[in-house]
Amino acid sequence: MASTLSDLMLNDRGFAFDPASGETFQLSTTGLRLVRLLQQGMKPEEAVGYLVGEFEVDENTAWRDATEFLRALEQLGWISA
Amino acid sequence: MDFRMNPGQLRIMVTGLHRGENPQPGAGIVRSIRRALPDAFIVALVYDALESGIYIEGGPDAVHAMVYPTSGADAYLDRLDAILHQSPADLFIPTLDAEIELLAHLPGELEARGLRFVLPDKATLQRRSKQHLPELAEACGVPVPRTIAVFDLAGARQAASELAFPLFVKGQYYDATKVENELQLAGAVSRLLAEWGAPAILQQRVHGPEFDVLGLGDGQGGTIGMCAIRKTALSDKGKGLGGMTVSDKRLLQICERLIGELKWCGPFEAEFMLDESTGAYCLIEINPRFPAWIDFPSMCGANFAAALVDRLATGAWPEPLPVCPAGHFYLRHQIEVHGRVDQLALLTTGTGFGQGQ
Repeated sequence: MASTLSDLMLNDRGFAFDPASGETFQLSTTGLRLVRLLQQGMKPEEAVGYLVGEFEVDENTAWRDATEFLRALEQLGWISA
Repeated sequence: MDFRMNPGQLRIMVTGLHRGENPQPGAGIVRSIRRALPDAFIVALVYDALESGIYIEGGPDAVHAMVYPTSGADAYLDRLDAILHQSPADLFIPTLDAEIELLAHLPGELEARGLRFVLPDKATLQRRSKQHLPELAEACGVPVPRTIAVFDLAGARQAASELAFPLFVKGQYYDATKVENELQLAGAVSRLLAEWGAPAILQQRVHGPEFDVLGLGDGQGGTIGMCAIRKTALSDKGKGLGGMTVSDKRLLQICERLIGELKWCGPFEAEFMLDESTGAYCLIEINPRFPAWIDFPSMCGANFAAALVDRLATGAWPEPLPVCPAGHFYLRHQIEVHGRVDQLALLTTGTGFGQGQ
């Protein structure tokens, strides 16, 4: 029943609508950026590496936060495990 | 919309105009018809002079008090004759489950009165009833919560021990109450048996959000259109106060299988719970009518009530309705309507009011 990432309706302020479930979400700035990168076809590790440079955070912190976020995306069915 | 008869001449009889805590579909149907056919002459049949849809702006042109379907076929048809004498009508859209249950037995009598309508036959109506839902669901490969029909309190206690609390107790036609223990079970079952007769239906509770699909079956196994929503706000009684259109092929495919199996003709609403533990849609009910939110799709470009009127007026289904795109939502909004005591007087003394008397 889940939408794929490409089905998601997103705006630039992080408001997301899943058309299959009818649920709405508010993504953080980094969450929105990660989803956008994944929508462009990047692999998660590639996208997180990109964020490390873009947001100037250390890789461990980025991966800790990103892992939790990616797990949430999996649970929503937006990305596969 | 291409009507073969003059739309201005259409006289449409509609029931179920109450819009309170437990709203009925009729007022929404009237509103949808008005969007497509502002000059249609609408005759409302009401069971209570305080059905709020009587008094809305753009509401019915004539209103008559009707006898309850439980009064029996003879009393119902006698009253219908008296009303048709005062306010003739061509098309009939009954909207309440108890009416449809009675009228499905009376197609010949309605035709003899010159009324055009779409009603399921008795066998099809029975196949989608709450107590026979598990067999239908199995035939269509659709999960359904475990459901047991009970005829007395002892049977209800036995069924509850098999289903485990909490569970839902439902009437044959209306009402669903969540019960957490034997005391609540006894109260709910007694009330429903007294109000709606046996059986009462006990249904396992499914955890997850509710999704509903309304549509029009073409009687050949297909549909003229469907609109799927997630219920986003519920009242204390579990009634939808808000909904969001969704686009999930899996949900629509389930409905296509159900409607195909039933060869359903006319309006329907299928209710589902998305089981959070399995990710599967569980079929809860199929209602043989439009739901109270029927006017919402017409605001998204799919006017189901007008399509039904088209079918009744011309004898042919119109072109399939456009798909309601995901991301439109409705909110139920309460306003005051204005009535006068002389209108109440006319309705309570059985005369009715409006034009076309």
